[in-house]
Amino acid sequence: MKCAVCGREGAGKLCQRHAVAKERLEAAYPLWVRAYGRMSWGDYLDNVIRNVQTGPWAKEVAEALRDS
Amino acid sequence: MTDRAPQSPQVWGDPAVSGGYTLVVCEKPDAAKRVADALSGGRSAASQVEGTTVFSFAKDGEEFVVCSAQGHVYGVSDPAEERTVYPVFDVEWYPLNLVEEESASAGRRIAAIRKLAAGAARFVNACDFDVEGETIGFNLLRYACGGKEKGALRARFSTLTEEDLRRSFGSLEPQAADGLARAGRARHVIDFLWGINLSRALSQSPLGLGHRFRTVSVGRVQGPTLGFLAKREREIREFVPTPYWKVTGVFEKDGREFSAWYAEEKVRTKAQAEEVRAACRGGTAVVVAVQRSQVQVSPPPPFSLGDLQKEAYRALRIPPSRTLQIAEGLYLAALISYPRTSSQKLPPSLDLRRILGGLGRVRAYSDAVEEILKSGSRTVQGARSDPAHPAIHPTGERPQRPLDGQAASLLDLVVRRFLAGFGPPARRELVDVSMDVGGHRFKALGSRTTFPGWMDYYGRYAGRRDQEPPPVAEGERAGVVSVTVEEKFEQRPPRYNQGSLLEKMESEGIGTKATRADMISTLLSRGYASGDSLTVTDLGFAVVEAMEKYAPSVVSTELTRHVEEMLEGVEEGAGGEADVVRETVRTAAEQLAELFANEGEVGRVIDAAIAGEASKAGALGGCPVCKSGTLRIVRSRTTKKRFVGCSNYPSGCRASAPLPQRGTLRPAAKPCEKCSWPVVYVSGGRRPWKLCVNPDCPGRSKP
Ligand SMILES: [Zn+2]
Repeated sequence: MKCAVCGREGAGKLCQRHAVAKERLEAAYPLWVRAYGRMSWGDYLDNVIRNVQTGPWAKEVAEALRDS
Repeated sequence: MTDRAPQSPQVWGDPAVSGGYTLVVCEKPDAAKRVADALSGGRSAASQVEGTTVFSFAKDGEEFVVCSAQGHVYGVSDPAEERTVYPVFDVEWYPLNLVEEESASAGRRIAAIRKLAAGAARFVNACDFDVEGETIGFNLLRYACGGKEKGALRARFSTLTEEDLRRSFGSLEPQAADGLARAGRARHVIDFLWGINLSRALSQSPLGLGHRFRTVSVGRVQGPTLGFLAKREREIREFVPTPYWKVTGVFEKDGREFSAWYAEEKVRTKAQAEEVRAACRGGTAVVVAVQRSQVQVSPPPPFSLGDLQKEAYRALRIPPSRTLQIAEGLYLAALISYPRTSSQKLPPSLDLRRILGGLGRVRAYSDAVEEILKSGSRTVQGARSDPAHPAIHPTGERPQRPLDGQAASLLDLVVRRFLAGFGPPARRELVDVSMDVGGHRFKALGSRTTFPGWMDYYGRYAGRRDQEPPPVAEGERAGVVSVTVEEKFEQRPPRYNQGSLLEKMESEGIGTKATRADMISTLLSRGYASGDSLTVTDLGFAVVEAMEKYAPSVVSTELTRHVEEMLEGVEEGAGGEADVVRETVRTAAEQLAELFANEGEVGRVIDAAIAGEASKAGALGGCPVCKSGTLRIVRSRTTKKRFVGCSNYPSGCRASAPLPQRGTLRPAAKPCEKCSWPVVYVSGGRRPWKLCVNPDCPGRSKP
């Protein structure tokens, strides 16, 4: 299957790189919610996309998730 | 493994009858000159043999001829003519000029040594005493001198100073155990087999190769090293930051302000951080504890090569491979000892007083030397040792020619490290202040050097950093001026630089001290990584991913380390090199079988990455038609032929030109003088030729 983010071959909807990046993204969400008291998934994605520390693969997945 | 290198005929008979000379074989021309000067007292005669300089002189009624190689003059290669076939498991040793075009001079060196060997009665191996030097010496004695690797004598020295050379030639040893040479030769064979098979496997895809501008290859040590970089790069690219808050307070005591930070350095919720700020604002701090502690800081150990490379990168930003190059030059100039050493020790047999005496004549070091000699202190020793050479140290000699900037800096670093080793431990005072503001704890630190000791000798490399402690004593009060809350994010891990990657290779037992820096340079020159903070390229990732999937041993640390351990066993005489080669070849064969089976997939992945890079790298120059696009080499999806197209094709520029379908293309630096279209060099076939890509170029004689 072609990765929904980059078009490279992968086992599922995402290639290996973006699949791992998505896991990281999902794992960090509860920490952000706790840190700010509350935060919607959409706001979280926006914040992560804007953050300079975010790695490019994580950012690409976040953009794809936001736009889907 | 067989020997294809011709051995010279034994034309000389019983040495007692023929009365031949002693032939001294050195590794480098500069070393040969130093040996000849030292032994002859500067009265040797230079002459040309086969276009190389040799030195001859008589000493105590004995004739000497000193000749030299130029590093390795023999190398391993694949005896098969067909350059595209793999796997290759059969290798032979050849004169290097037959293997590599750029090694033409090796042929002359070999010819000279063969000629000289014919008249020699006695052979002395004076190559560097380590794995590579033993390998070079062994090959010269076996192939160029006609099977003399057993009966030769060995000159062992760690510096090229007159004293050391004379002493070493005064006590020549029989050519000792050949473990080093056997391990060195095995390492060359293994690395060759590894490299040739993988690069052929990787460079062959069923999709045609015309648009490739480079050879894809992965060396045995390079694989795991690239693996380290890729692992770190993945952590960076997948990284999702998480927030925390840093609370800092500014306090005031008797009109002096100082800052201290909230004891919980990372506050995990915004609410808690705000709470602390609200509670502390306008309050008063009580100093609950001021702890002072004295620490002793011992001088750093003498330099091993790895230590020197890391320190030169840290303090002088000289890349490790360059440091080795410069250090080699300083060694050949007899200014420092042999740099390829793992040792952090300076053995008692070294005449340290003489070295200090020499350094004392340099103004910048004279005060330090005087103190050291007066105190009679001994040098610090590190933990690691090396059977062949002591730690890198200065010889105390003055440069005969002025050194260039980097060489002078590196020599200064080596000298100061040597001097620092004699210095007493430095003493530092640390101050740890703890304050309480309404139940919230704040901390501040101070540090100062109370006695510099060795740091004075190490000078600017010591990196002293003092920080004024807050001006408060236990039980005192300080007013809270302000409290700030900063939103912060966890940082992604740092990329490796050349210094930290070298350290990683050392700690993982990958590569040898002599080769690690070169491995890093090769990763850069192959385009697998780039930049000062080493960033893995798309091509680098494609190679790692293909290997992880189909040939995991190639990028694993275990196999490389295992081979390294087996080779160390051979060096120490504990194992046979044939076993090591056989075992490595067997693993390589298994991995290659897997690669073979998935050749199409591997090729596609790497092709895609190369095409991606080529779309950047394949640019030829500005488009003279639309004036805004870039002309580059592209490949037709339908005909698979390559041609020149403009990057503005999607927006309408139709500039294009045919290209020769055979040969490798390399863009020239300057565009065509006649029509300003790009020019390429075409190589492969007869000889490289230059081609303006414009089919209508007025200067074009034939299509
Ligand atoms: Zn993807």
